[in-house]
Parts: sequence; structure tokens; C-alpha cells
Amino acid sequence: MSESGGKVNKKRIYPNWFLIIPLLLYVGFFLLPSLMGVFYSFTDWTSRSTDGVSFVGLENYVEIFTSNKDYVSGIFNTLKFTVVSNVLKLIPALLLAIMLQEKMRGKNFYRTLLYLPSILPFVIIGLIFKSILNYNNGLLNGVLEFLQLGFLKQKWLSDLDVVWKSIFGLDAWRGIGYVMTIFIAGLSTIPKTYYEAAQIDGANFWQRLRHITLPMLSGAIMINLVFGLTYGLKVFDIVYVLTNGGPGHATEVMTTYSYQLYSSGQYGMATALNTILLIITLIVGVFVVRKIGKQEVQQ
Amino acid sequence: MKKKLVSVVLSAAMCASMLVGCGGTTDTAKEDTTAKEETTDEEDTADAGEKTDAAASTDFSGEELSILVSAGWMDNRYDETIARFEETYDVTVDLQAIPADQYDDLLQSKLTTDSCADIFWISSNPFAVDSVIVDPAKYCIDFSDAEWKDIMPEARQASCKAADGKLYGLQIWHNSPEYVMVYNKTMFEEMKLTVPTTYDEMLAVCEKIAAEGVTPWFMPGADGWQHPLAFFQIGGVYEETTPGLYDGLNNNTATFANNEKMLEVLNQYKELSDKGYFGEDWIGTDSSNMQNEFGDRNCAMAMANSSYIKQLQDETGSTDEFGLFLIPLGDNDTYPTNPAGPTMFGYKGTEHPELVEEFFKFVTQTESLQEILDNSPSYTNLDVNDDKIEQHWLPEEEAFMATVDKTKMATSVLQTGTKYTNDYWMDWSADMVAFCQGTMEANDVLTNMDANRAEAAGVAGDDAWK
Repeated sequence: MSESGGKVNKKRIYPNWFLIIPLLLYVGFFLLPSLMGVFYSFTDWTSRSTDGVSFVGLENYVEIFTSNKDYVSGIFNTLKFTVVSNVLKLIPALLLAIMLQEKMRGKNFYRTLLYLPSILPFVIIGLIFKSILNYNNGLLNGVLEFLQLGFLKQKWLSDLDVVWKSIFGLDAWRGIGYVMTIFIAGLSTIPKTYYEAAQIDGANFWQRLRHITLPMLSGAIMINLVFGLTYGLKVFDIVYVLTNGGPGHATEVMTTYSYQLYSSGQYGMATALNTILLIITLIVGVFVVRKIGKQEVQQ
Repeated sequence: MKKKLVSVVLSAAMCASMLVGCGGTTDTAKEDTTAKEETTDEEDTADAGEKTDAAASTDFSGEELSILVSAGWMDNRYDETIARFEETYDVTVDLQAIPADQYDDLLQSKLTTDSCADIFWISSNPFAVDSVIVDPAKYCIDFSDAEWKDIMPEARQASCKAADGKLYGLQIWHNSPEYVMVYNKTMFEEMKLTVPTTYDEMLAVCEKIAAEGVTPWFMPGADGWQHPLAFFQIGGVYEETTPGLYDGLNNNTATFANNEKMLEVLNQYKELSDKGYFGEDWIGTDSSNMQNEFGDRNCAMAMANSSYIKQLQDETGSTDEFGLFLIPLGDNDTYPTNPAGPTMFGYKGTEHPELVEEFFKFVTQTESLQEILDNSPSYTNLDVNDDKIEQHWLPEEEAFMATVDKTKMATSVLQTGTKYTNDYWMDWSADMVAFCQGTMEANDVLTNMDANRAEAAGVAGDDAWK
């Protein structure tokens, strides 16, 4: 027993005490500020609080749920974005990954092409697409008119019925390649023999997808889901650069409200909003990891 | 064991090299500071001219001066002056122009995280220094004793001072009619239209213009900051309807909410929006194409400065004649008096305080002021106490000013005449769009402004709101 233990230790590249520095950094720069944030959410901390802060209990939380500013719709929009953006990315990305896993000419080119938008910064995407989606002089409406499809013209970023669709579409365009790459990595670990055996048994594409691909891909699905959920819940960039929460307040999310509150020096309120976001993220994250983790164990 | 020893030695070496690096920087910094202190002492004994020369040749060489500004506040008008400043002092100026709709939030973040540029700008007014910068004594260099301060008329100095009475900013701005209605006089004559002086007349004019397939009133809603002007520039009419309103708003004894005149104006604005008189997609349209729209005769009116006429004629080659009239919403007949404007401040946390001071001194010299005016197509004059400046007043401005009753110029615009109002310009802008799209009520827009102002007053510790 001691021999085998010694062997394991010898195989280790780094000793345990190497963990101390990263752990200290993690606690000091991540865990502690997060906990302090939760603490400050119960205070009246503002940029003018030079004489210290006072405990105000749940006042900030009550304000969030009763204020004229409609922070609740910001919370609802954040949840809506999280669900829709994941559905719009995961399903097409999975199908694309399966397609690009097959033997086809130029598949590496297509993979690169689909991945490229993921490396573009949101600021650049925002600037370009604000111009493309402009109603009067934008490229998209111009092309639609040129193709005699003028009836499809939309006020992409200013119509209440369209603006969220524009954001979802652009987010999917940017994110699908990244999600697809993780799926491709997962797919490449599934032994081909499973598919060959299933084919001999007469299984069609959907049966192979349901009984082989999806169960064997649960690890990659979980990674994408956890990444997607955390990304969706803390969404800021794409909304900020495309609409800045507008038109009116139609596309405000929790982080845009939080940013406004920080900017106006209402730190207590801002941290309260962030604490709500933290709680939602924790609940969703724990639920997803447990649910999918349990499925993995069963397999 | 050997491996462990090697790893420990290597780690120790790495940490030591990092510390050496840090130590080196500190020493250099110390040397720099000492050098600067010595130079400053020497400077005190030298005369002003020598001081500039000495500074240019020795002190600032190689330094970088960063300026944080909202797009449109400096444009190209400072380019020549900045180039001369760079050449004179052998420094580089890093101009960070931020899109207008993001600027306020960004500036606040920069200030509160102690990462601001050496010089920053705000849209200032007599109340803005305290409410926008929040803690001017902490963030701004005190220029109360600066030799250049008297270049600004007293009204402008008020927009550069904080409640503590200290002067922190420098405002170089013009005194032309601001954000009144600019209209295509030639098109009006062709359509046999007369200048509207009431809302009903405006509605009739818009109807006739729209019938000709022309956008009556070009409204760039996507900019965010333009469309609220229609409401705030006519502050005089609110004060006339409810005398003492401004005082009430500043003492927290009056509210925006339930103000009949304000509700009337908001509803008139929505009516124009609903009827399409601001264009097919005013909410998604920015001002980048406004000149072309005027030049191509696609629109007949817009809110702009008087100097805009010359600018659009120069840049579009339009031979049409243009004129000015007062915004007629709420049957307004008051002039938009406004001592406010973009104002620059020196950041107290700067690593180059002397260079910042030199910059302020430099831009207030006659030569620089003339350059700024000459390089500003949108300025026809500079509101400064310097008789050597050659101003460029327009005949249209002079004609318009002759039509305005002087008694109607007493009240300043709402956003700068009342505390904390201007700070929530972009919130108001979003609320106004939401109201026009039917997702908010008019009185909720006004109530939100009251709530926002109360928040700002709370943050500022304003006694009137306690």
C-alpha cells in the first residue's frame, strides 16, 4: 500500500503546497470581495459615504422589487436571455458539430468559419452590427430591398417586437462556433464502433443520436450548459453595445441596471442587485450540475 | 529531494527578481519625483516666459497627457492647439473620445475606481460639479488661483465651481442660440409655410411637409441625448406657467410629476412621434446623417445650434436659405438661455499635475482660443473675456436674436436651472422613448425624474431632501 502511494506521489509534477498561492489569490481577490459584496448589499453605501456605511436591512432589496425603475423586468429579461440564448446556441451547435464530424470536404474550413465570430470583441461586433441593422441606411435592409424583399425590412434595434430577436440572433451567430467546438471535442471521444454496431442493428440517425451520441456527450453538454447559463445570467456586453438597454428600457438586463447604479454611486443598491444575480446563478448552477452529474453516474 | 530543492530555489529566485523589478521602479519614480520637486523650486523663481520654456525643454519631455472626453465636445477644434502643445512641451496627448451614450457611466466608473485620465470633461452647469463629479475636492485639481480663470465670464465660472466655492473647471464655449429650431427657409417659402409659433401651428406645418414626402422634424433618437432637448430647452415656459417652479424644484417643494405644462409637452411630443413627423424610425436614427438629410431636402426642420446652418451649407453645398425659430412645444416663446457647456477638469490623481496645469494655461492663451474658434465649424463665437479674439457671428443669428423678446431670456433651460436634473439626461431619454412606444405613462416619466433627483440629492446629502 505504501509502495503504491509512493508511486502516486512520485508521479505528481507539483507538490501540494503549490496550491497555497493560487488559493490565497482566489480567496483574497474573488471569494472575499464576493462575500463583502453580499454584506454591502445590506447597507446604504454610496459614493458619498465618507463617514462609513449604515446597516439598512433589506431596504435595498425592497427598493429593487418595488421601484419605479422596474428592476424586476431587468431580472426577467436576464432569465429570458439565458434560456433563449442557450436553446438557440446548443441545438444548432450540436447539429453542426455532428455534421462537421462526418467525412465531408472542407470541414475544417467550415469549422474555422463558424468559430471566427467567437474571437471578435463585442465592441467591434456592436459597432459593425449597429450600422448593418440601421433601418434607413443599414446593409441588411438595403440588401432586402435590392432582392425585392422590402416587406421583410425591420426596425431591427428600435422596434419592441424585433429588438430582442436581433440580440438573440447576433448572440447565436457569435456563440455557436464556440459551443460547436466543445461538442466536436466531445464527439471525437465516442468510439466509432458504437455507431457501427447500431447501424448493423438497423438504428436510424435519430435513434443513434438519442441512444449513443447524447448520453456519451453528457460531459460536453454539461460544460456548454454551465458556461452558457453563467454567460447568459451575467450578460452585459452584447446588450450594452447594441442597444444600451433600449429602446426605452426594453432590453435592460440585471447587469446594465447594476452598471447604472454603480455609475451613479449607489453601491449598496448595485451590490444588492448583484447579490440577487449571484443567488440565481448559484441555484441554477447547482441544479444543472446535480441533474446532469446524476445522469452521468447512472450511465 | 533534489527536485524539491531546485524548485524551491527557482521559486525564490523568481520572487526575488520580481521584487528587484519593483524596487527598481520605485527608485526611478522617486528620482523622477525628486527631479520634479527640484525643478518646481527653480520654477518658482523664474518668470512666466522662462517657466514655459524651461518646462517645455526639460520637465515634461516624453510625458503623456491623457484626456477623457465625450464625442462631440472637442471634435477637431482642439487638434491644432493640441499639436502645438505637444510640440512646445515635447509631450504626447492621448485623446480618448468616448461615444456620448456611454460617456457619463464610463466617467463615473473611472473616477470611482481611481483610474481617470489626466484631464476629463463633464457637461457642466451651475449645479453639475457637485452632482456629477460627486466629490470634486477629491477628484479635481483646485484652480481657484489660476491666472487664466478670468478669461471666463462670471456666468461660466459658476458652472466650473463647486458648492465649496472653489473653481475646478475651465469652460470654453460659445454663446450662440443653442438647440432652437433650424428650418429650411427656402422649402418653407416653396410650400407657402410660415414659421410656427404655437404647437397647433407646428402640427399644421408638419402635416403639410409630411404630405410632400419630406420628414418634417429630423429627430436623432438613437443618439440618446438629442430628443430630450425638445422638452428641456423650453424650461422658461414651465416657469412662466408655474411661477417659482425652479425654486420649488431646487428646494424640493415642487415636483415634475403632475405638472400640467410638462404633461402637455410630453403628450405633444408623443403626438408628433405617433404621426411619424420625426421620421419613420427616429428612435433608431442617429445624427450622423442629419446634414445629408438637410442637404438632400429629405427633412425640413431639426433642433440644432445657429452655427449649424453654416456648417451644413459648407458641407453639403446646399444653396437653400435657412433660419431659426423657438421650439414651439407647449406654445413656448422663451429663449433657451444656458450658461452651461462641456467643461474640462484636471484629475487630482494624475501623475502629471504640472503638465495638466500647463495645458489649461496653454488653451486659454489668445492664440489657442482663436485656433479653437477658427477650427470650430459649429462655433460662431467664443464666450470669453478676450477682446483680441475675432468672432464670427452669423447674420441668421443676429436676425433671430432680433425677434426674441429680451424679457423672455431671463430663465435658463430646465436642465441647468434645476439641481440634479441634467445628471439623469440619459435616463430621461430612455423614459421618453418608452413613453413614445407606449410602455410608460407620461406622468411616470416625470415621477421617475423626481425619484432620480431624490436619489442624487440623497447621495449628495442635500439638506432639502432630508
